[in-house]
Amino acid sequence: MTNNNFQATKPVHMEPILKNLPVFVEQLSAIRETIIANILLIGQIPAPTFEEASRAEIFLERLSEAQTDICATDDYNNPIGIIKGRSGGKSPPIFVVSHLDTTVSGDVDHNYIIRKNSIMGPGILDNSASVGILASLPFICQALDLSFESDIVLAGVTQSIGRGNLQGIRHLLKNWEGPIRGAVIMESEKLGRLNYYSEGIIRGEIDCQIPTTGNWTNRYKPNAILILNEVINEILAMSLPQRPQSRAIIGKIEGGFKHGEIAYDAHLGFELQSDSDAMVQKMYHEIKDIVDGISHEHNVALTLNIISTLNAATLKYRHPLVKSAVSIMKRLDVTPVSASSESELSIFLANKIPALTVGLTHGKDIHLGHASMKIEPLFTGIAQVMGIIMAIDQGVCDE
Amino acid sequence: MNKDWLSQNTFHHTQFRDLHQLVEAKIDKGVTVSLCLPTLNEEKTIAKEIIIMKSELMIRFPLIDEIVVIDSGSTDQTREIAESYGADVYGAGEILPQLKNFTGKGENLWKALYITHGDILVYLDADIKNIHHRFAYALLGPLLKTDTIKYTKAFYDRPLTLDQEKVRPTGGGRVTELVIRPLFSLFFPELTQILQPLSGEYAGFREIFENIPFPIGYGVETSMILDIYEKWGLDVIAQVDLDQRVHHNQDTKALGRMAFVILKTFFNRIEKLGCIELKNAVHKEMLQYRQILDQYQSEIYRVEGHERPPIITLAQYREKFKKPLYADRQI
Repeated sequence: MTNNNFQATKPVHMEPILKNLPVFVEQLSAIRETIIANILLIGQIPAPTFEEASRAEIFLERLSEAQTDICATDDYNNPIGIIKGRSGGKSPPIFVVSHLDTTVSGDVDHNYIIRKNSIMGPGILDNSASVGILASLPFICQALDLSFESDIVLAGVTQSIGRGNLQGIRHLLKNWEGPIRGAVIMESEKLGRLNYYSEGIIRGEIDCQIPTTGNWTNRYKPNAILILNEVINEILAMSLPQRPQSRAIIGKIEGGFKHGEIAYDAHLGFELQSDSDAMVQKMYHEIKDIVDGISHEHNVALTLNIISTLNAATLKYRHPLVKSAVSIMKRLDVTPVSASSESELSIFLANKIPALTVGLTHGKDIHLGHASMKIEPLFTGIAQVMGIIMAIDQGVCDE
Repeated sequence: MNKDWLSQNTFHHTQFRDLHQLVEAKIDKGVTVSLCLPTLNEEKTIAKEIIIMKSELMIRFPLIDEIVVIDSGSTDQTREIAESYGADVYGAGEILPQLKNFTGKGENLWKALYITHGDILVYLDADIKNIHHRFAYALLGPLLKTDTIKYTKAFYDRPLTLDQEKVRPTGGGRVTELVIRPLFSLFFPELTQILQPLSGEYAGFREIFENIPFPIGYGVETSMILDIYEKWGLDVIAQVDLDQRVHHNQDTKALGRMAFVILKTFFNRIEKLGCIELKNAVHKEMLQYRQILDQYQSEIYRVEGHERPPIITLAQYREKFKKPLYADRQI
């Protein structure tokens, strides 16, 4: 794997790339049926985290049918296609990545409904549309008559979300031999997002269990929900600095059985985010002290578990990859909006590989069963990705 | 009874997944293919069917030459959506407007014969939620890769063990198992080998479809099988396992009405064939009842039982396709 130090030196003339972008949008619109077909055929296959095998299979099938040069899975079941470049392997490869998994249960009917300018269905915005585009890239390259010096590695990575803890991309990069030139991570929404830094993160869960004895004394036991309420109050009372920017987010809570019964168990999901890894660690230890203290005071079993961690990493705004992406987006009349992203981007940046996350289209109700995306902006989103790949291929990430 | 038909004329869609081969077979035969989607308020599924078929079987592999939507008067966005994705869309009433207009799936299928150009027609219901291009290419497979099969019919899931190694789907819905299969068993035992005679997906050569009559409504699938069997025998028919088809289930009352139409069509056919003699004409109304508070109220479902004649008997059709009358044995 590479050890790029993010010091790009090779000048790249963007104008030849930029001038083609509006034409790309028109050309992509003309092949929309094939792009939408891939979104449908892949997106209607359920893929909750850890259960991505069926979607991986159809993803590879689609790549194979598009006569992609290499189609295979790695030993972590990440399906990968490679479009061979002109350099015959002399130029390091460029990665284009989408996570295969969704937050939607396999029991949910993954029936997509297509209207004149929208596609509606579970998981479409996170991240099925993006996976469909990834599978379409070989066909898109042919339609736009594009070829590259570098090999283009199309990676649909598994086990990304939540407890998946980005294991798919971690494994892929850990076992990839040789340097990587740069990477584009595609998310279905929102067109305009430009992520080039990620925060340090600890994602954890706190479980409260009250032992039950099955007799009348149960009604005088502590209530697991109220115990977690105390934990939440103490987390909210923690003083967090403005610099480095830090947050403690209470994201999930569940517990109890029915309205009139004391809750014997409850679970809390939280995430600690900061520009500084040290600050994340400090917050975590504070929460551990809170949990230990409340557990001791109330004599209940409170457990704190880390389910994933990420280190803070960043490209500078002045990095040529970021600057190129901004100029590409502006040429397409897209206003870039920067924010941190705790996705595959973190793993690329942690491995010193220049990378960006971009969005492909607009939509609404991202995590609901009736999530929907707009079709028309998708072509601008794809043109943007092709522009970034071209820029990387022409050297914006090269030392 | 030809007991070998089930094993010899039953295929699985995976046998035709090599689309390059199918395209070559199509070129070798020198035929063109039309896909027809009959619709009535299918705005939730019509785009999917058009997009998948256009992408996979027109753009990537040139198996289908045209996609035609024949609409029965949708009040939703079906027509607009279908047009926006490039299908040729017609209202059934716009085709052969000089004829009396009827509304029903069979009417749409019959009029598609006039408006399409293909030597082979593929008919797919437009309400398939899990549409995949195999629904079309697998039906085309036996037509393109054999010289004997002229009509193919789809069947789906519900496993049945055929022998020790093969497990195949069988059985249709409730109407197939409670109405059609008992009737076939009584009058045409050979036809019981057709596992899902009511499936709405089938394909065939134009010469087949133009020489048979089309009932206007639900009875079209039943009559089609009986007419093809009677004219050309079972060996021109094949069935293809498409694995799974997901669509909306109908309630029991709706299935009852469907069964009524099918029974009416069936009696009509077997009387013509001399299998039975009905001393009185059968009634045209299906009576169903519902309870409102403490009273029972009847619901009447009237079926005229209209039927379009073989389209080859229509002068405009023969003129358009430059065909002589009664070319029916030349398949």
